Amino acid sequence: MALVGNLRDFGLSDFLYLVDRGYKTGGLHLAYQHEMALLFFEQGKLLLAVRRPEDVQASLLVRLGVLTAEELNRARSGLAMSADGTTLTQVIVEEQLVPRERLQRALQGFTEEAVYGLFAWPEGEFRFEQNQRPAHDTPVIPMPISVDHLIMEGVRRIDEWGRIKDRIPSTDMVAHFLEQPREHLKGVKLSTTEWRLLARINDRDTLAELAQKTGMSDFEVCRMVYGFLTTGLVEVQRKPRPTSRGPQPAELPKVKKSLVNRIIHRIKDM
Amino acid sequence: MQTVKMVVTGAVNAGKTEFIRSISDIEVVSTERRATDDTRMIKHETTVAMDFGRIAIADDLVLHLFGTPGQKRFDFMWEILSEGMLGLIILVDSTRPETFRETNRIIDFFVSFRETPFVIAANKQDRPNAWAPDELRLALRQPAHVKILPCVASDRASVKNILLELLYVIQENSEEA
Repeated sequence: MALVGNLRDFGLSDFLYLVDRGYKTGGLHLAYQHEMALLFFEQGKLLLAVRRPEDVQASLLVRLGVLTAEELNRARSGLAMSADGTTLTQVIVEEQLVPRERLQRALQGFTEEAVYGLFAWPEGEFRFEQNQRPAHDTPVIPMPISVDHLIMEGVRRIDEWGRIKDRIPSTDMVAHFLEQPREHLKGVKLSTTEWRLLARINDRDTLAELAQKTGMSDFEVCRMVYGFLTTGLVEVQRKPRPTSRGPQPAELPKVKKSLVNRIIHRIKDM
Repeated sequence: MQTVKMVVTGAVNAGKTEFIRSISDIEVVSTERRATDDTRMIKHETTVAMDFGRIAIADDLVLHLFGTPGQKRFDFMWEILSEGMLGLIILVDSTRPETFRETNRIIDFFVSFRETPFVIAANKQDRPNAWAPDELRLALRQPAHVKILPCVASDRASVKNILLELLYVIQENSEEA
């Protein structure tokens, strides 16, 4: 079943998070005005991203200067003679038409640039077709890439409060490190400024206080924390206040188990 | 006569009124009116005050179900309704990702400041393009221990299941005797 929506309501970084944490396989189709994009994922990792329909074709490798037209023809012949399920990328690597690292670098760079551009879209319809895979002759990255650093880079390009406020509604919130940050967070690359902020996170200071201590603007701090949040490095919570809009813990009555059991039995009998 | 209260909340058109109607012993007391703002795009009538349903548990015990208004301008009602509640059901329209942010705001309001027993009901699972509970967990950034359950608010059995799952959460936090 497809997941459909609009980037205005469910941003690209949110979607990348969902694909990554859900180990999703499939094709993400995006459309905004006259533009399109297609991203293929395998087990949560990115295989290829294109911004033009023709870029899913093997000729992309010639345009990128990875293969000559003649080498591409050889690769296609090899693919035609290969067992079912073999991909063009595998043929190119196995027949050593181009070093694997060069193919990786070219397609990864192409894909990253395609994705970074998408973060500038203010909106756009998306449709995620679960288990849709690229055609066998579509060039894909030999070693699929983690989306974590794409999320961070995308967040760096956010220039409006709207997207950030969704998850960080005020600077009165406090950032906490997650107790068990995920293993592949090792792949996240932070800038010096981001490290400077990260080092200040202490479970006590609000984001406004962090801004004051680091000399950064509230927006800069919130944007960086939004990035940490999206990659699963930290979580944010409101600073506990003595008087809040929400009901206070003291109001919570401790319920008797016997009472709950009576209700359970009644509901079961309905 | 002892009364206990559960609150059913969620964004506009999440299915709160339907949820209570499916299980209430009595005709649900609603205060629906013709929608006059942007909710008009979604439904012709919406809950502007609240819904009220009732389940008689025994001669001496009644469960009240309150549905909160979904519109932002009635936020003030949430606090009033949540006073003394036993638990909370947060309904999500699984087919409308544009409501996930609002759902998060609601979760934040009801859950941030207290240990409220709650479950999230992923409503409209019978519709095409409904996001599955696992996908909603990621979309709403909810930890593994929070129950996110498939739901069809028009189906009494499904509503029963949600209530029971919430009661099991309440049971875990209740005291003996």
